Amino acid sequence: MKVENVELERKYHSAVEHWSTHHFKDYPVLLEQWDKYFPTDEKFCLCAKMEVGTSDVIQVGEYKGEKKREDPDQLTEEQAHHLLAIIKAQASTEFGSIQQHAGTLDRAYDDQDRAWVMRVMAEELRHGYQMLHLLLSKDWSHVSGGVSGPQMVEEILSMTTGNHVLDAFNLDYDSFIDNIAFAAFIDRVGKYQLTMQKVCAYKPMADSMPQMLREEAFHLAAGVIPMRRFAQRAAGGDPLASMTALQHAVNKWFPRALEMFGDERGGNKNVKFGFKDMKNREAQDLYIEEVRKMLRDINARFVRGRFPDYSPEQADAVITELEQTRGTHKGLRHEDLLRLPDRRFFRRKGECAFETIGIDGETFADADEYLRYLAKNLNEGYIASRDLTNYADALRKVKAGTLTVADGIKAMPKLKRLGGTCPCSKSVRWVMEDGNGGQSTVAVRGS
Amino acid sequence: MPETAASVRIRPVTELDIDSIVRIDERITGAYRPEVWERRVMYYLRRDPDASQAAEVDGKVVGFMFGEVRSGEFGIEEPAGWVERFGLHPDHRGRDLGRAMFDAMRRHFIEQGADTIRTLADMNEAGVAGFLGALGFSPSRLQALEVPCKPEGRQETPRA
Repeated sequence: MKVENVELERKYHSAVEHWSTHHFKDYPVLLEQWDKYFPTDEKFCLCAKMEVGTSDVIQVGEYKGEKKREDPDQLTEEQAHHLLAIIKAQASTEFGSIQQHAGTLDRAYDDQDRAWVMRVMAEELRHGYQMLHLLLSKDWSHVSGGVSGPQMVEEILSMTTGNHVLDAFNLDYDSFIDNIAFAAFIDRVGKYQLTMQKVCAYKPMADSMPQMLREEAFHLAAGVIPMRRFAQRAAGGDPLASMTALQHAVNKWFPRALEMFGDERGGNKNVKFGFKDMKNREAQDLYIEEVRKMLRDINARFVRGRFPDYSPEQADAVITELEQTRGTHKGLRHEDLLRLPDRRFFRRKGECAFETIGIDGETFADADEYLRYLAKNLNEGYIASRDLTNYADALRKVKAGTLTVADGIKAMPKLKRLGGTCPCSKSVRWVMEDGNGGQSTVAVRGS
Repeated sequence: MPETAASVRIRPVTELDIDSIVRIDERITGAYRPEVWERRVMYYLRRDPDASQAAEVDGKVVGFMFGEVRSGEFGIEEPAGWVERFGLHPDHRGRDLGRAMFDAMRRHFIEQGADTIRTLADMNEAGVAGFLGALGFSPSRLQALEVPCKPEGRQETPRA
């Protein structure tokens, strides 16, 4: 395993560092205190890390066996256009998650949890940097509609929560539970995407994946371990910790995580072009089984906490019994355990978009009845959000037949920030894209 | 169940193995210690997630081996692989799963530039000593030395 560190040209490197002064204010603190929280770990490096010695041969798809492409010019226009969209989306998610984490970082339960999330943020910054390297190190102008590398960087660095490419990165966090649930659920999708892209026919992309994946392993643990500990606190009767709070976070993030795989019926082009080695549904199925196991393990931690004298086998038996009977066991209720929602629950993209399906697969005929159900199963901060209001508007129209599902998907607003990269430099204009690609100004935010 | 008919897989440890590792440890030691293993798994995942290995039989984790490459300790500058913790469910011993995990770890250590693999063990524990011997470990000229923190014969006087 050999990794080559690459720095962006000074002005772009500085742009990323400057971006962090707005969206990751604790970055210098993390670097200063690195040795306190991560003693003897390798120092953090804001750079692109390219794996050396990876395969030169395309492993999947139509061009399997051919030499991997090293330059966008070696791809067809359609391939290059498709890959560019993947890279930009990946970059958007990396920077987007930092903005989300920053909102509730200071509400961490303890210093260690906070330090873990700060390290996650720093590594996401590096991952975003890695994607910028892919955009800037080669010429994409023939497939970018005339948008230059620097302009693409500006566009990505100017995105904020609400206008990122993927919905999961447009939701504000409501508490620190969102920080850890996000790491456990959304970063796990990231792991799947990066793993699939390890085979990418575009070699610089493939070479970017191994180190990102290594870092992602820590991110997943930084979500799962605090969730396990939170369940232990809930089991011990801590009045500030409840399984309901965790379940509400599961309900918030799991549907968005599924949508990050793309429409269940899609992904053929990714495999055909050799960019990924699985189609969307195939990867999504594996993901669902993985998070099912994660929740089962957290439930086991909770049950062992509630009944310290139980053996692991007894705890397993209690979980199985409650799942089957939906009853109670010595005061422990079925609803005290975490449940993985039905894959059609609260979806607004993909083949289940705007279906009104409950956590356990139950159906709702009426939009408002379904919204009341969601309100009971999501946290209060999120219920009051603009994201949920937009969803409710679209759902009512779809159910009333005044909007098709396809138009409903498009109707979920994409806010696009127009203006300079730096939020401290000039005011920006927000526009809402309509279904036909037209734009109307909805708000102007001054600096 | 004959292991020969079972599907065996050796792969790097992940955060979702914590529950299985806690169970293996509990089966061996009788102690339920989730906090200990959460802390240890996090340590190894953040240091080098490709190094530590898990053994799966029919999709169930039945063994683990933790370690990493380190250098600059005890005056030894060259990188060395360290095998630091391992556990195998008693029902799955004697089937070379420990060796398979060690082989995977050894390959990773070589990729990381290590020439030597080291460990510390209580050689009075026959099972552990036999296992390490079978893997090829032999006494090193580096010796683990120890001394009590409190000098012998001196009782600590309680403070007023």
